[in-house]
Amino acid sequence: MTIQIKDLTISYQDLDHALLALDHLDLALHPGKITALVGESGSGKTTLGKAVMGLLPKNARTKGSISVDGIQILGLDEAAMNQLRWSQVAMVFQNGAASLNPVHCLIDQVAEPLLQKGIVRRKAMAAALDLLARMGIDADQAGRYPHELSGGQVQRGLLAMSLILDPPVLILDEPTAALDAMTKGFITKVIQDLRSAGKTILLITHDLDLARNLADAIAVLYLGRIMEYLPGTDLVDSPCHPYTLALVRAFPFMDGMRDLGGIRGDAFYRMVHAHTRENGRTHAHVHVAAPDAVHQGGHAPPQGCLFQPRCTQAVLECSLGDVGFTACGTHQVRCIRGGIAQILSFEKVAKSFGKVKALAPTDLTLMAGEVFCLVGETGSGKTTLASIASGAVAPDQGRRIFQNRDMDRWMKTDFASFAPKIGMIYQNPAESVSHRFTVFDIVAEPLRIQKQEIDPEKIRTRVLAALADVRLSTAPEFLKRYPHELNMGAIQRVCIARALVHAPDLLIADEPTSSLDPSVQAKVLKMLLGLQIEKGLTMLFVTHDIGLARKVADRIGVMANGTIIETGPAAGIINHPEQACTKILINSARGLGTRSLASIPGYEKENICRS
Amino acid sequence: MRIWKKNWSIPVFVYLAAALVMAYASFRLPNLLPGDFVTAMYAGSDVTLNAEQEAELRAFYQDTHGFPGYLRNLATLDWGYSHAFMAPVSQLFLQALPWTLLLMGTAHVLSTLLGFVLGVEAAWRRGSLLEKAVVGIMTVLEGIPEICSGVLLLLVFALSLGWFPAAGAQMAYADHTFGQWIADVAHHLALPLATLILAYLPGNFLLARAGMVMVLESWFVLTARAKGLPPVRVRYVHAARNALLPMVTRFGLRFAFMITGALVVETIFSYPGLGTLLFNAIAMRDLPLVQGIVLFSAIMVLVVNLGMEYIYNLLDPRVGHAY
Repeated sequence: MTIQIKDLTISYQDLDHALLALDHLDLALHPGKITALVGESGSGKTTLGKAVMGLLPKNARTKGSISVDGIQILGLDEAAMNQLRWSQVAMVFQNGAASLNPVHCLIDQVAEPLLQKGIVRRKAMAAALDLLARMGIDADQAGRYPHELSGGQVQRGLLAMSLILDPPVLILDEPTAALDAMTKGFITKVIQDLRSAGKTILLITHDLDLARNLADAIAVLYLGRIMEYLPGTDLVDSPCHPYTLALVRAFPFMDGMRDLGGIRGDAFYRMVHAHTRENGRTHAHVHVAAPDAVHQGGHAPPQGCLFQPRCTQAVLECSLGDVGFTACGTHQVRCIRGGIAQILSFEKVAKSFGKVKALAPTDLTLMAGEVFCLVGETGSGKTTLASIASGAVAPDQGRRIFQNRDMDRWMKTDFASFAPKIGMIYQNPAESVSHRFTVFDIVAEPLRIQKQEIDPEKIRTRVLAALADVRLSTAPEFLKRYPHELNMGAIQRVCIARALVHAPDLLIADEPTSSLDPSVQAKVLKMLLGLQIEKGLTMLFVTHDIGLARKVADRIGVMANGTIIETGPAAGIINHPEQACTKILINSARGLGTRSLASIPGYEKENICRS
Repeated sequence: MRIWKKNWSIPVFVYLAAALVMAYASFRLPNLLPGDFVTAMYAGSDVTLNAEQEAELRAFYQDTHGFPGYLRNLATLDWGYSHAFMAPVSQLFLQALPWTLLLMGTAHVLSTLLGFVLGVEAAWRRGSLLEKAVVGIMTVLEGIPEICSGVLLLLVFALSLGWFPAAGAQMAYADHTFGQWIADVAHHLALPLATLILAYLPGNFLLARAGMVMVLESWFVLTARAKGLPPVRVRYVHAARNALLPMVTRFGLRFAFMITGALVVETIFSYPGLGTLLFNAIAMRDLPLVQGIVLFSAIMVLVVNLGMEYIYNLLDPRVGHAY
């Protein structure tokens, strides 16, 4: 049974305004396929499920069409809808035990639809018992009341209940939320079997791990619009939309390496308002409102991309026209930049200092919004590569592309517009600040040099904001202090403030915490990563400490002999390194010493990383 | 009933202790009324008693047993003798009880059933014009006390229109067949019953509706609808079952306070039930009768409570866990 959803718009009317839950949504569900719907709470996932069941609340207004095997179901009356419900389309609602009636025992609720179809009680009970047994619920548990069952038993019971009439279409709303890993595994297996049996399945979840393991296709929903439509297997390793990437980064995957990062900003609601203008005409429009304020400071008209205020790669064009789907590989993305953009790319960039070949021809690509870690031994060319990326050092050969422009030409023709795009944090904080400058002057310097601001009041405002960002005092006495009056952690924070004061897009951090003790390092890093998320920065993070890199990086590039020998997602590099040199690096970091290294061919040679 | 299965002796002990306390209170409290049978009896008469006569009368009507004697008598089902009505208390009591049971029982059962069904249906149609109107009317009715509606009904339908008798429970000295007698009793019952239903129905309706509105928003009702069940089944088997508990509580409490509840209406319509009997007994300072009725109502509260604990368990399996 195929379900076609076309141009579906659903809003919830509430006095003078309406909440826009789904906005011109198109989706097709096919037999034998699992389609997953993921997205933050309030993105409209459950609304879609309820719409297919014909169970929207009275204040819902719908437009568009939902057809089940060609039968239009929007606008069907209750009696006709009841013919479809459960026998054709069944649903497992979220909230577990709340979906079971507390005063009837489990088996009665499971068998109820059969009894209503006129099956005799004895047969219906036997069928229900059999189905429950297949879900791992024995006869004793089947006779219990919902409050006497565990969360896992309830979920198994709900699944059995949805299958009692053997419907061809199943809607599963958070089927594994709040379940332990074992029960989750069991339910995953059941859902896989149902797919094999040819059922059409819509999986609504914010469990990205479940979506990745089960779904044939995933639709990523944001504020009622599909932002990306992608094959399930691509979710973690190659998402195309910045929103999908941000969701993945926020999810605690078992094989995830980086510390959890949120998505910058807050989720919003979309409100449809009707206003009376001064000329007396009523004017209806959609605007975006924060959850805590009904009518947040004026109106943000919903022009352009919905995700733009929270996106890490938004440009001016993003806030202009309406955004349609474009192809990005096999994915469909709603992004005028065609998905996650490259912010910086190197093609065969090389550098020598006199006779010393510091950097062999190397390719490197940084994607907007990611944290890319360069790891490797000292002398492998990390700092040279970072300096070339920052523009401080010019390469001998190769091309540098920054934000789709030739970097060398950009620097030559219009350095004033290029300089503020990149911020830099150096290896040794104490030596990267002038001892004759006060805290205020250190942080204000980039603004003065770049002549971004002339007005001293504005400079002061931005400096104070930058200091507040790095959780430093903004008291006048502190601003007058000199570096030697501060501890190492505070100086590094001042350096971070200096790197961020001119609002860069790319932040390059060269061993930013190697001179700090572990407790200060932890604090500074947490703060830095928080800023990276909240400001939507792309970060090139250079470190020799692979243990640190896996906590920080989305992707890792391993350097040896003046070039990058291996790049990939952090988890891939750490768990399945391919290059011998990477293995040595990781094993050394694990403190395994020579014992495990001996198995690597060529290890007897002094150092295979320096061939 | 779980806890009872584990240890049945605790509730029995608790209820017996409570009954004993009630017996003592019902014995003591009426004694605290100002005045006594002697003053009440001779208050309205022309006879003037001298101090000696008064003391003699008091000594005659004095209760000489005290509480232990009272208890002993109770144990032998001797409730004492009413001097005012010159009959054993138990005889008076048993004469009045069926009328109160008939009036109050019918009123409670009807107003609860009717209120429940109306409440459920109103909640289901929440937001419609009819529902809003019914809720408005019920809210106004809820504010009218039975003493007010009773007197109005009496004035209009009994005194002015003359459709219904103004007093009594049946026609005196009539020679009715059984069918005629039933019709006559129903005819007498109509006005007091209507008064009580007017008093009790709105509360039941509002309670049922409020409970139902809450239940209708829960996920299991949505699940029941998703299962394609007929609306009536969703409404009653799934939703209303969960809104039933407060109704049962209210029914039980009202039933327990049956006699005090009957006091006003029975007095207005001179209905020969326990309420009227109690009213007269108090006016006459007929202590044994007052004691008997007070004790009966107290025991009734206990019995109803006990019964409700059992019914709760049948209605809602979660209650067993609440201990």
